Amino acid sequence: MGESNEDIEQMFSNLLGEMDLLTQSLGVDILPPPDPKPPRVEFNYSVGFKDLNESLNALEDQDLDALMADLVADISEAEQRTIQAQKETPQKQPQSASLCVPSFSGTTSLGYGANVAATSQYDDDLPPPPADPVLDLPLPPPPPGPISQEEEEAQAKADKIKLALEKLKEAKVKKLVVKIHMNDNSSKSLMVDERQLARDVLDNLFEKTHCDCNVDWCLYEIYPELQIERFFEDHENVVEILSDWTRDTENKLLFLEKKEKYAVFKNPQNFYLDNKGKKENKETNEKMNAKNKESLLEESFCGTSVIVPELEGALYLKEDGKKSWKRRYFLLRASGIYYVPKGKTKTSRDLACFIQFENVNIYYGIQCKMKYKAPTDYCFVLKHPQIQKESQYIKYLCCDDARALSQWVTGIRIAKYGKTLYDNYQRATAKAGLASRWTNLGTVNAVPPAPPSTGVKTDPTQANGQLPQATQSMNTALGEDWRHLETTKDKKPDPGLGSHDPGAPRAQPLPKSSLPPPPPPVRRSSDVGGGSPGTPPKAKGAAARFPAPPDDLLPPPPPPPPPVEDDELPPPPPDFNDTPPDFVPPPPPSFAGDLGFPLPPPPPPPKRQENPGPPGGGGGEQDFMSDLMKALQKKRGNMS
Amino acid sequence: MAGMKTATGDYIDSSWELRVFIGEEDPEAESLTLRVTGESHIGGVLLKIVEEIKRKQDWSDHAIWWEQKRQWLLQTHWTLDKYGILADARLFFGPQHRPVILRLPNRRALRLRASFSQPLFQAMVAICRLLSIRHPEELSLLRAPEKEKKKKKEKEPEEEVYDLTKVVLVGGVAPASFRGMPAHFSDSAQTEACYHMLSRPQPPPDPLLLQRLPRPSSLLDKTQLHSRWLDSSRCLMQQGIKAGDTLWLRFKYYSFFDLDPKTDPVRLTQLYEQARWDLLLEEIDCTEEEMMVFAALQYHINKLSQSGEVDEPAGTDSGLDDLDAALSNLEVKLEGSAPTDMLDSLTTIPELKDHLRIFRPRKLTLKGYRQHWVVFKETTLSYYKSQEEAPGDPIQQLNLKGCEVVPDVNVSGQKFCIKLLVPSPEGMSEIYLRCQDEQQYARWMAGCRLASKGRTMADSSYSSEVQAILAFLSLQRTGGGGGGSGNHPQGPDASAEGLNPYGLVAPRFQRKFKAKQLTPRILEAHQNVAQLSLSEAQLRFIQAWQSLPDFGISYVVVRFKGSRKDEILGIANNRLIRIDLSVGDVVKTWRFSNMRQWNVNWDIRQVGPE
Repeated sequence: MGESNEDIEQMFSNLLGEMDLLTQSLGVDILPPPDPKPPRVEFNYSVGFKDLNESLNALEDQDLDALMADLVADISEAEQRTIQAQKETPQKQPQSASLCVPSFSGTTSLGYGANVAATSQYDDDLPPPPADPVLDLPLPPPPPGPISQEEEEAQAKADKIKLALEKLKEAKVKKLVVKIHMNDNSSKSLMVDERQLARDVLDNLFEKTHCDCNVDWCLYEIYPELQIERFFEDHENVVEILSDWTRDTENKLLFLEKKEKYAVFKNPQNFYLDNKGKKENKETNEKMNAKNKESLLEESFCGTSVIVPELEGALYLKEDGKKSWKRRYFLLRASGIYYVPKGKTKTSRDLACFIQFENVNIYYGIQCKMKYKAPTDYCFVLKHPQIQKESQYIKYLCCDDARALSQWVTGIRIAKYGKTLYDNYQRATAKAGLASRWTNLGTVNAVPPAPPSTGVKTDPTQANGQLPQATQSMNTALGEDWRHLETTKDKKPDPGLGSHDPGAPRAQPLPKSSLPPPPPPVRRSSDVGGGSPGTPPKAKGAAARFPAPPDDLLPPPPPPPPPVEDDELPPPPPDFNDTPPDFVPPPPPSFAGDLGFPLPPPPPPPKRQENPGPPGGGGGEQDFMSDLMKALQKKRGNMS
Repeated sequence: MAGMKTATGDYIDSSWELRVFIGEEDPEAESLTLRVTGESHIGGVLLKIVEEIKRKQDWSDHAIWWEQKRQWLLQTHWTLDKYGILADARLFFGPQHRPVILRLPNRRALRLRASFSQPLFQAMVAICRLLSIRHPEELSLLRAPEKEKKKKKEKEPEEEVYDLTKVVLVGGVAPASFRGMPAHFSDSAQTEACYHMLSRPQPPPDPLLLQRLPRPSSLLDKTQLHSRWLDSSRCLMQQGIKAGDTLWLRFKYYSFFDLDPKTDPVRLTQLYEQARWDLLLEEIDCTEEEMMVFAALQYHINKLSQSGEVDEPAGTDSGLDDLDAALSNLEVKLEGSAPTDMLDSLTTIPELKDHLRIFRPRKLTLKGYRQHWVVFKETTLSYYKSQEEAPGDPIQQLNLKGCEVVPDVNVSGQKFCIKLLVPSPEGMSEIYLRCQDEQQYARWMAGCRLASKGRTMADSSYSSEVQAILAFLSLQRTGGGGGGSGNHPQGPDASAEGLNPYGLVAPRFQRKFKAKQLTPRILEAHQNVAQLSLSEAQLRFIQAWQSLPDFGISYVVVRFKGSRKDEILGIANNRLIRIDLSVGDVVKTWRFSNMRQWNVNWDIRQVGPE
């Protein structure tokens, strides 16, 4: 572990340097304010990290593993008890469905410079994720109250039933440890259970990364083999998608910002009012004010049925199993993509169906020009989610320009998902709004809040430079997104683009402000679980094991400036890659000590019950898992 | 008062004689002659008339209609002078509400009393209230097309006309609900039947009739419709409608506010019917695939409404049901009173094992169907060379989750095949299973369908799915393929007739496909909608209709400013579209939100949107 110590020291000195730079650049004093509350980052910094390292050392890998083992033991013990209590109610064997999505090593040839997944050494140092992520959680029988014997019995029985049901359900819940690549060359491992939607996972990631939570963040899947990629829609079930991947897949999951995700809701006119009257069109589009946009969206998405943008035009279609591309005239309708057969008109009755959307997902094709000799690089791909290798059932289409590509992809998404897309957007906006308010509250004395976005067109070069992306993201016209993307591709190694994270610098000074009460994490309230009464004890149990409840209530403790910010600072330290980006400040020593010892089965402390918003059915359980993961993350961050 | 005379019999008060006909506009109507002056109030005249008639009757609905001016004299405090009525005025004293026959969107006829004196808009409000349709502003009346009606009269002598003329609504309060229908419908069996007609979808029409009905052949034909709309700011009387005339009731504006299956079954049903007829009569074009979906939905809706399955609150949460079931099971378990292990039966998943013939189409293969031992467990299909080898490795194992299941059945030819298109990481693999008989086919087919949705045969819907498939096969045996002959009786037993695909699709598809070809395609599409409840299916139908690109466009022939030839102006709820008359191409689109103004010169029929 000596090596890891050194790493940590190195990292701290890096951080120190960065913080200095940041201080200068912000022109704000980040020295610990005379605040009675010990702000953690600064505390560590001023006290010196040597001591801390020592306390950290006490927490060895093995300890953590032991903790896990204890947990599992406790669990099985409790399970035994419950089983006996139930007179051996047949239990379904938990399906051990842990699939560790293998980390993808080596730099990809893909664009999006920021997301190039480089394997850093610390990746290899990591202890393997716990072998058995499927945990049947112990449910201590609720303490019998002062009630009559019969009632008590009935109560006990009812509880047992609930418990058994809970377990039945639990046993079937599939969980995956997923490695998610961040936009700063790092990655995070995350426990995702079967019931979680992409939105939930994103919320988890927001909590862990302290990004600005804007609506453009998405989970992004990349198929290096097929050279296709797409973002998950927020309502998609992550585990379901990932189970379609093959075991030895090279596919990756990224966490990054994509403006295309909700571009249609920011500038609906680009999709709905595009009638190719070049000049006049642009004029009207720029004139489109917020009110008109809103009414356009309302008209398109809030009626009895969603209006799919009228879209037609010539596209190149890659012929099945051949290398040639054929130009055809395609039309988008709510029911699918159609083409005009040779010698026919484009009236409804003559159209031939090319594909319907029920069984296919839409992907962006990357560098199809190289791989498939496509006429242009603006390709989109339709394939059944389960197909993972090259196949004649994958349809490749190629547009003339970026604008058309974006219109087609968005149009297809609208046709496929309908109003769900709009609902997703509204949820995302709500989430982003909450987050930014919180951030603004916390940073009011440190950083002026981001200037309200204006419709000012930003030059791509400018975007590459100093302006935080958030300013631009709201109102950038679509064409620009694309130019932007192109520049990204061209300047792949330039770290200044995709990886800048405007949220991070704002989040950083957060701790030393006088901490307004944080909003309860949205994730909990939005949990899908049925709010069954069987869960609270679990949550209590979790709290008992990790006596750092603020972790759950507050957004996780503020990190030192995440290395993301390196990109904004002129000279990134050379050993930047070694810095574990998901570094979370080490827990206070007492916490570390606690962690070291196996804990007795939890007598439920009342703490958790005062949570704002009672944890939902799946929530408590999931919280527990995420706590566990958090602990692991911390551990890992420290070890490397 | 009027009528003062001198001794010689001359009138001295400048009074004059006013002749009033009693009854509706009828040349032979009895008439009264009153002595009035120019200062007489209409109210006074009315009173006099009633006194003169000397008949005991409720006259409250009666009013005077001035024929020459085509105007009702409704302001009782106005004087005759104020109205400008002279002795030569032809006045009719008649009821304001008169019976008309409404042809509903579902093509059924309904007689009711409509106000002939109020502006049509208000009359519509009253009609819709009677029919319990919310949002009357969305509907209006059309004149029935003339010639077509005559033809129909000749061929179909008797048609059931539902009668609602005697139903009286209590003013003011919203109609209360009684026995699942608005109270005023539950008075008699007759009105009850009428409500069922209104709120339940009708069986598919006779394909022959469908072919006979006029269909628009061009955009120009579609513009004809709009000349028939009645003016909603004038009353029916003013528009030359007579008592007993037939009018069409239709949704006029294609934007439907707040469709809620719970509160307005009539509105939903009628909207569905209008959409259906729109499609069947090719008022709106759609593609083949879309037509199949529409047909499948119609088939499904028809099946549900025929089977008497009146709309229940759509699918209670199945997850909740499962939980309840499991809970009760557990309870039984814990009491120790259950003789059999119910939980075991709950958790063990039934499987299918049988000899089936399998065919895998491949390039360069001449092999046909070969006998295999097939095991179907959970969502996985495995097949072996023989039953003895079953414990070993299968030849192939396919997870059917997410696969496409296509029936390939010919009942008369005793062919029961299931075509599976199974996705795998490498692509799709195609496989055909050939079953021996209906029973076997139904079981395997049901299993495959469930598996494709990721459910196992333990799912509660398995047995019902098997039954549905069997029922379906028997339908095909009796009536399938006979479509187009037109011998099938219409009416309530239409469902027993089976699937007559020609009644579900527009005539141009009737010409294009044989019933045999259509049936499997409709069934294929039906798979996706089979789980919907009646109102959900109707709503889905309406939504699909709305998402057709041509939906909601009303076509009007106009002449644009600066243009010499007639063109077509399409009016949708958010935009105006200029369309070339001959080709049908869109020339230009104006969105209402971007338009500054539009100018219409009615005399030369010129429009100029800006």
